[in-house]
Amino acid sequence: MENYDVLVIGSGGAGMRAALEAVRQKDLRVGLMTKMFPTRSATGCAQGGINGVLKNMDPDDSLEKHIFDTVKGSDYLGDQDAIEYFVRQMPDAIRELDYFGVPFSRDAEGRIAQRNFGGASSPRTCFSADVTGHVILHTLYEQCLKHGVKILTEWYLLQIVVKNGELSGVVGYDMKNGSIVPITAKAIVVATGGAGRIYWLRTTNPFTSTGDGMAACLDAGIALKDPEFIQFHPTGLADTGILMSEASRGEGGYLLNNQGERFMSRYAPEKMELATRDLVSQAIETEIKEGRGFGQGLSAYVQLDLRHLGREKILERLPQIRELAITFEQVDPIEQPIPIRPSCHYTMGGIDVVDYRTCATTVTGVYAAGEAACVSIHGANRLGGNSLADIVAFGKFAGKGAADCARQRVIAEPSWVNAAAQSWEERFSLVTCRKTGAKISDIRDRLAEIMWNNVGVFRTETEMAEASTTVDQLIQEYQTVPVPNANKVYNTTFVNYIELGSMLTVAKAVVLGALHRQESRGSHCRADFPDRDDVNFLKHTLISKRAADYNIAYRPVVVTRHQPAERKY
Amino acid sequence: MRQITYKIERFDGTRKFIQEYSLVHQPGKTILWGLIAIKDTMDPTLAFTAACRSAVCGACAVRVNGQAVLACETSLDTTLDRFGDVLTLAPLQNFSVIRDLVVDWEEKSERLAAVKTWLMPQDGFSAQTGCRQTGSDFKKINTQAGCILCGACASECSKLTANSADFLEPFTYSKVWKFVADTRDQAATERIKGILDKGLWKCLHCAECITKCPKGLAPGEDIARLRRFSLRMGHDDSSGARHALAFLQDIAETGRLNETKLSMRSIGVWGSIKKLPLALRLLRRGKLNPFHLPRKVAGHDQIQVILKAVKESEQA
Repeated sequence: MENYDVLVIGSGGAGMRAALEAVRQKDLRVGLMTKMFPTRSATGCAQGGINGVLKNMDPDDSLEKHIFDTVKGSDYLGDQDAIEYFVRQMPDAIRELDYFGVPFSRDAEGRIAQRNFGGASSPRTCFSADVTGHVILHTLYEQCLKHGVKILTEWYLLQIVVKNGELSGVVGYDMKNGSIVPITAKAIVVATGGAGRIYWLRTTNPFTSTGDGMAACLDAGIALKDPEFIQFHPTGLADTGILMSEASRGEGGYLLNNQGERFMSRYAPEKMELATRDLVSQAIETEIKEGRGFGQGLSAYVQLDLRHLGREKILERLPQIRELAITFEQVDPIEQPIPIRPSCHYTMGGIDVVDYRTCATTVTGVYAAGEAACVSIHGANRLGGNSLADIVAFGKFAGKGAADCARQRVIAEPSWVNAAAQSWEERFSLVTCRKTGAKISDIRDRLAEIMWNNVGVFRTETEMAEASTTVDQLIQEYQTVPVPNANKVYNTTFVNYIELGSMLTVAKAVVLGALHRQESRGSHCRADFPDRDDVNFLKHTLISKRAADYNIAYRPVVVTRHQPAERKY
Repeated sequence: MRQITYKIERFDGTRKFIQEYSLVHQPGKTILWGLIAIKDTMDPTLAFTAACRSAVCGACAVRVNGQAVLACETSLDTTLDRFGDVLTLAPLQNFSVIRDLVVDWEEKSERLAAVKTWLMPQDGFSAQTGCRQTGSDFKKINTQAGCILCGACASECSKLTANSADFLEPFTYSKVWKFVADTRDQAATERIKGILDKGLWKCLHCAECITKCPKGLAPGEDIARLRRFSLRMGHDDSSGARHALAFLQDIAETGRLNETKLSMRSIGVWGSIKKLPLALRLLRRGKLNPFHLPRKVAGHDQIQVILKAVKESEQA
């Protein structure tokens, strides 16, 4: 039995920032639980930068412009009060990162350098070459070492235990010691990242972005908000889906079809390649569908051309992009265009946060931040550079929110988490004894295939209905899946089994939300409902789950100053 | 059909054993592809870690035929060309093994924290104002900031393998150098003092860390930078520092080493007396001649020119 005042789950940027905020309250027992070593987190894959109005590159940039860009980028589904709060925090949050030690690229006066990014009306994306997420992740880890944050390394979250609408604690699996451990906690911050791996075969995400926290919250009675909004990054490497940063377009890269044409001129004549990700991804897929791509079927692609930027700029500003292209696509961007295609990148939706100031959810004691959460500031489409911003801003608020909450609560009766841990022991024995049933990797791949083909960049009623049936079928098969590995020490088979369960749980919510949203908005692009429908759908989807039954409800979007208008780039 | 074999050093928590897996070769794949194929289709019990599969997270470092690599970015074909169709995979060296290819990072993070690997900002900066740094000063720390903590350098470090009690993981020295070189930091002298007795002069110069780093860092060179910095601070009184300076003096004077003088200068009379058994063994084998007094080598004036150029470049 372990106990904490504040337990943060997930060690990406949001989780570590939350833990740092919570340990500032010296009298609280704070733990940071992560299924990996902290610096393996998806935050490290973020490349291009982090948005904040510092006015270093453009003195005419303003908070107002960042707010409006984010609202417009979200296709008016973002809550404007939350967006305003977020944008106002960002300049301070970035200066704080500088003070923490993040090595930012610099301008001529030694200030943090900023670059252009998609959907932004000024160059406000701060960066460190093209490894911005990596350096932020490692710097936050350094700060955690400095402040002596107790890190439960390689502890996997099995369940969030809630009784009478209040948090009791969690059940964790201490992988290295091979034990299932009940943990009581007065407050938790769920910062477990996204669920991009439901598109396993084509995603920029690490293997570990399996929606663990989202599924655990859904099972604990907390809704998922707007799960149907999945961001497809326009520039994933054609073969592997590995990310080519938006910085490659921010620095001036072109997108070309098989005619050698900069086709974005037909979709976003003004912003061209720097339109938002949803529009660029949809444009690329349209080009491919209409025969102007290279190659066929799943291996079709268009080109990202950086050659005109010149060797020096590529080496200084985009060194990692170049290395990744050489290693994984055998193409040197200095000499050749890079084959790219959209790749599942980000879950705009997530755990329903009901107070953006504290990141509280509907269950007392449970807080959520980062990609796992949906505040919502990203709405139907997140702007590049707003996710690193999201994690440091809301990570901090969640850490503070959870710490304040912990002070108000007493530790729960341990019998509930004990009972939950006991039933996980039984489940471990049960599933590791099974001899027959579908294979974990088969279900995982079939899920990915149906999600990519039927709930991908373009969606229709018929295709999604088919996906819904398939996902239900896979959930059925999952009930009897065997875990042929009874050794409890670092049992990755068991972890993969639970991860698959999480992916199925979240995928069902994605399909359900998408089926019921009969409009096109941001990343949710329906061929059968091509227009945005503000009359019926200017609202958040809320998917909740009771036992095996999913329910769908809606909540109005908060509109303050910016009335929904047509979105053109 | 071409078959290839992964021989994997496994460990189940109590027992070590080698298991062989036969795979159908596919062109254009990586080492990690093979591991995933084994886990997905043959043996789900095989444990390894991997996350980003794009060489930025550091999770998948393993040893392939005695070389630490990132499994995700290492071309299978190139490796097969080099070693043939049977590959031996093992967990990183110099780490405790938890299961199969999974190693324990927790102990390494404690060693990182012991030398305070975090920024201690200059007094003029604050969390509210941030910091200032020129573009060229950023470039001084940019390379070291690229460390992904994969552990490849630590795995192949000859010194750690010999004795890890008085030496740190090579990446740790790169981190320390990053902060010493960071113009935003105020604790350079404290940092140097902190590593004087933590192996600063123990590096064996085998350069394995430099050749194995998948991100182009050179921990061995960072150790050399730390040593130079410590000498400039006046920390020239350790046996390591004296050894280096004695080398330099010999080279400057004659262009040749004088082994007897080298020992006296590095570890003193008493230290040299304690090394007598070694000296006698060397004598017996003809490796040491105490009466040999090296004369100046031909072209000694050129050595002087080189030394002068180095000195000037350091002052610049």
